[in-house]
Amino acid sequence: MRLDNITLEGMLPRVFVSESIPDSGIWRATATFRRGESYLVEATSGGGKSSMCAYIYGARTDFEGRLLFNGVDTSRFDMTRWQQLRQENIAYLPQDLMLFPELTALENIRLKNGLTGYASDSKIEEWLERLGIASRKDSPAGRLSVGQQQRVAIIRSLCQPFDFIMLDEPVSHLDEHNNRIAAEIISEEAKALGAGIISTSVGNRLMIDYDKTMHL
Amino acid sequence: MKKTSTGHDTRGCGQLLSRLLRKNTSPARIAGFLVSNFLGLAIVLGALQFYSDANSIWSADDSFVKSDWLVINKKVTSANTFGESADFTPEEIADLERQPWVRSVGRFTTADFRIFARMSAGNGTGRSMSTSLFFESIPDEYVDVDKSLWRWKKGSGEVPVIISRDYLTLYNFGFASSAGLPQMSEGLMSGIPLELTLTSEDGTRMKRFKGHVAGYSNRLNTILVPDEFMRIENAELGSGATRNPSRLVVDVNSPGDVAISEYLEARDLEVAGDKSGASASFLLKVVTGVTVAIGAVITLLSFFILLLSLSLIMEKNATTLHRLLMLGYDAGSVAKPYTRLAVYAPLGALFLALCCAALLRGSYLPALEGLGADSGSFIAAPAAGAIITLLVIIFNVVSVRRKVRESWRR
Repeated sequence: MRLDNITLEGMLPRVFVSESIPDSGIWRATATFRRGESYLVEATSGGGKSSMCAYIYGARTDFEGRLLFNGVDTSRFDMTRWQQLRQENIAYLPQDLMLFPELTALENIRLKNGLTGYASDSKIEEWLERLGIASRKDSPAGRLSVGQQQRVAIIRSLCQPFDFIMLDEPVSHLDEHNNRIAAEIISEEAKALGAGIISTSVGNRLMIDYDKTMHL
Repeated sequence: MKKTSTGHDTRGCGQLLSRLLRKNTSPARIAGFLVSNFLGLAIVLGALQFYSDANSIWSADDSFVKSDWLVINKKVTSANTFGESADFTPEEIADLERQPWVRSVGRFTTADFRIFARMSAGNGTGRSMSTSLFFESIPDEYVDVDKSLWRWKKGSGEVPVIISRDYLTLYNFGFASSAGLPQMSEGLMSGIPLELTLTSEDGTRMKRFKGHVAGYSNRLNTILVPDEFMRIENAELGSGATRNPSRLVVDVNSPGDVAISEYLEARDLEVAGDKSGASASFLLKVVTGVTVAIGAVITLLSFFILLLSLSLIMEKNATTLHRLLMLGYDAGSVAKPYTRLAVYAPLGALFLALCCAALLRGSYLPALEGLGADSGSFIAAPAAGAIITLLVIIFNVVSVRRKVRESWRR
């Protein structure tokens, strides 16, 4: 199955229900993300962008309103359905990275790639080289700097086929140079797959050309 | 660049997965489970197997007398010794037959001649023993045995004899050991031919027969021969005097009826039966029950140890579980190491416990067989063990699945 569009219909985190929230392009509105297009979701801290990512990834359901995949309500999706979506349709870089600190950088990447069998060893090597962490690939992830961990997690998120790649503050700890390289790699991959990009930011944004910017 | 061949490095990935998930596994706790579960199961299974093996001593199907047939006699008091008869008069029998709970009454016929039996014991050793005997018979319809085995025609065949199982026990543990004779199992005893010599009371007439033991009874404290045989030989060797029966077999509607015991008590009548067997069987049940209960408690506790250790490992690895599920790993692969533990650990303990129960059985079986147990097969322990272990496994696997689902959305 190909995931062509993701629609957030009147979505609102439950914790916000009793609060008055400022005008938003997403909360309480109808927002649609289309495959092949790139979106920047800008928010202030605490605006709920990580919540939005978790909702779209099926990791949380504490929201009002509806989440539609290709127009189908996701509220009835079971675990198996979500696991399939996570392997084939939606790549996700969570803000807290969710690396396994006891595994090396390369092992963390392989843990995902072993599941999908998607990227070749040489491709992974190339990404590690370009992002400047090839020399640290055998270090436990827990020993790497946050910036290095962020780059490992970016590579890991690319180790699968996807219709959308969702990046939650992907470059918050990267310098401009690495930001540019990460943007290049992600764009290349998304373009090759005809996938959509959803990137969030509270300031430091991933340097790609966005088709649309939304405010939370 | 898309590599479609499946899992080019999945092997390494499986190792990574199990490395992550096995974190916090405590060999000590698993060993604790194995030892306690083995102990508990060994006690439960050993006791159940012993019960199933030993129970045959008392509950061996007494196929010769149905349970709703009561054998009754008058209580023997000192008055009987000094002349008063313990026989049933025709009036007493008629009264009994009138009772609403009686279907029919059969009379025991006593032999009106002398019997001398000789049997060679100990194949080929030339030793033999002989004894005076007595015979009784009851109408054939009260003997619930294959009619082809319980048939006697004048001038043909051997005389089938049903003896009380107590007699064999008396012989084996009383007589044989003190007289230096070999002990005999029921099967062996049945295979030895009996040479019967019947003499009339006055010694003028004598007849020889071959006989064999056709069966053993717990409820008939007598030596039974076919009614037809008794009728003919009483006519030919007997004195001709009619005697009242001293014992009756009564076919009743329901043996548990209170009216029956009241009637019998009022007339000083006794029901012959396996009373001692019943109390021994009851004792066996109580002892087995207590032992099984102790074993069951230990098994239950050990089962909680496993459940708790699994919960603890999964609790400690909750973040790992959650992250793996976030990566797209399915619940089955994430649960696998724990499911394996939940399946193999109880199976291992069951295997050890069954070995233990089998060893135990090997040590008590010869003694039991000496007591006349019809040693069944090694079924009770494996069957009970399989059921208990299956339940434990199902419960654990279900709880592992539930735990994984809990880590799904946190």
